[in-house]
Amino acid sequence: MSSAKAGINMVSFHPDSRFLTDFASGSLATSEAICVAAHLEFCAKCRAHVQQLSDLGAQIMTRIEPEEAVDADDEGFARLMQKIDDDAVHQQAEVPAPVVSAAPAQGLSLPRVVQKLAQGSIQSLNWVQLGKSLRIAPVNVGDGVRQTSLYDIRAGGQMPEHEHRGEEITVLLKGSFSDAEGKYVRGDFVVRHAGEKHQPTATMDTDCICLVSLERPVKPSSIWYRLLEPFVQFRLSGFSN
Amino acid sequence: MENNDDMDNVASAQAATNRAPDPWADLVRQVAQKRDRAAFQQLYKHYTPLIRAFLLKSMGAGGDRSEAEEITQEVLIKVWNKAASFNPAKASVNTWIFTIARNTRIDFIRRNERNDRKIEIEDIWHEPESPEPLVDLQQRRAEQVIRQAITSLPDEQLQVLYKAFMEGKSHNEVAEEMDLPLGTVKSRIRLALSKLQILIDR
Ligand SMILES: [Zn+2]
Repeated sequence: MSSAKAGINMVSFHPDSRFLTDFASGSLATSEAICVAAHLEFCAKCRAHVQQLSDLGAQIMTRIEPEEAVDADDEGFARLMQKIDDDAVHQQAEVPAPVVSAAPAQGLSLPRVVQKLAQGSIQSLNWVQLGKSLRIAPVNVGDGVRQTSLYDIRAGGQMPEHEHRGEEITVLLKGSFSDAEGKYVRGDFVVRHAGEKHQPTATMDTDCICLVSLERPVKPSSIWYRLLEPFVQFRLSGFSN
Repeated sequence: MENNDDMDNVASAQAATNRAPDPWADLVRQVAQKRDRAAFQQLYKHYTPLIRAFLLKSMGAGGDRSEAEEITQEVLIKVWNKAASFNPAKASVNTWIFTIARNTRIDFIRRNERNDRKIEIEDIWHEPESPEPLVDLQQRRAEQVIRQAITSLPDEQLQVLYKAFMEGKSHNEVAEEMDLPLGTVKSRIRLALSKLQILIDR
């Protein structure tokens, strides 16, 4: 499926039943769904749950009373096959686009969904440097509701303390960080709620890269705000708060 | 179904995963291997009303019939084109088709939103896949448990599951529509899931 889940990991923070159910039923906002999809590549347990929930969805779909049966010899089937034949002719006329598989940068394997967001290289994203330890790259996922970004915290770097105004999802893609609540490693799906404050610190040995989905911008302390201001203003354009 | 090799493959796949036979798997295989139109016609006859009803429900009040028809056709075309990617060891045909219909529905809803998104719906919502044979085995047993236990769920729980999976509503939307606290919706769904032995421990 993906190179991202290679090796044994010790994922210990997972999306809860709401995230997994809304993901499987297809109702999760794109930004959140991307976070769940990224976590799934690291976590066999949650993959199995999503599969079970999809089985459940299928059971519910097949148990409904179809309002009208389909006559297999009807015109509908003929029309469908005609369309399939037309498409096939059309497709032969087109040169299929080559499949480009993104080479992982310096041994860093990213979940498929993040590779797609970054178009293969996270270096090519629009990174905004905030102080010396942190840079943030906003990505447009067409969600229109939540902000989706990648965070890159330098090894040992500390983010200023900030308070959340809305829900924040963080999926660790590389490295690890810790805050007063605990230590988080690659694959962890960490949710913070409105009113919660924290001050994440990346561990010393390696840079920490995270996928972050924010329901609302964070409420920073004064220093944090100065660091964040250009970013916040950039992000707030087109974002109703 | 008349092909002996196919029958053998189906039989060994079933023995390997110790599960009830999937009556539709062989038809999908014949579509994949032989572009068999008669096999596809049987799938068409069975699944078209289900897919169409699913799409009509989940496209909400705004979903009109001709749109639902059009998207149903889109789903069936994908079934034809993707038949080779169906793996009976990993999912039943029901589940495979449900995920195709679900993804097509999400894509339809998103199509009307202005954005320059770089990712496709299928980059996020993959068709079910799990690389470990042991997980597949447990998976297929789980599917049987779900199928059997679903008949004994109380209406109250079935109703929220129905809104989630058939109508494509999120926990928040179900809570709003039913005028229930979000926590109640979440616990109702969790209770239903635990009866179905989908044991998400969070
Ligand atoms: Zn997990």
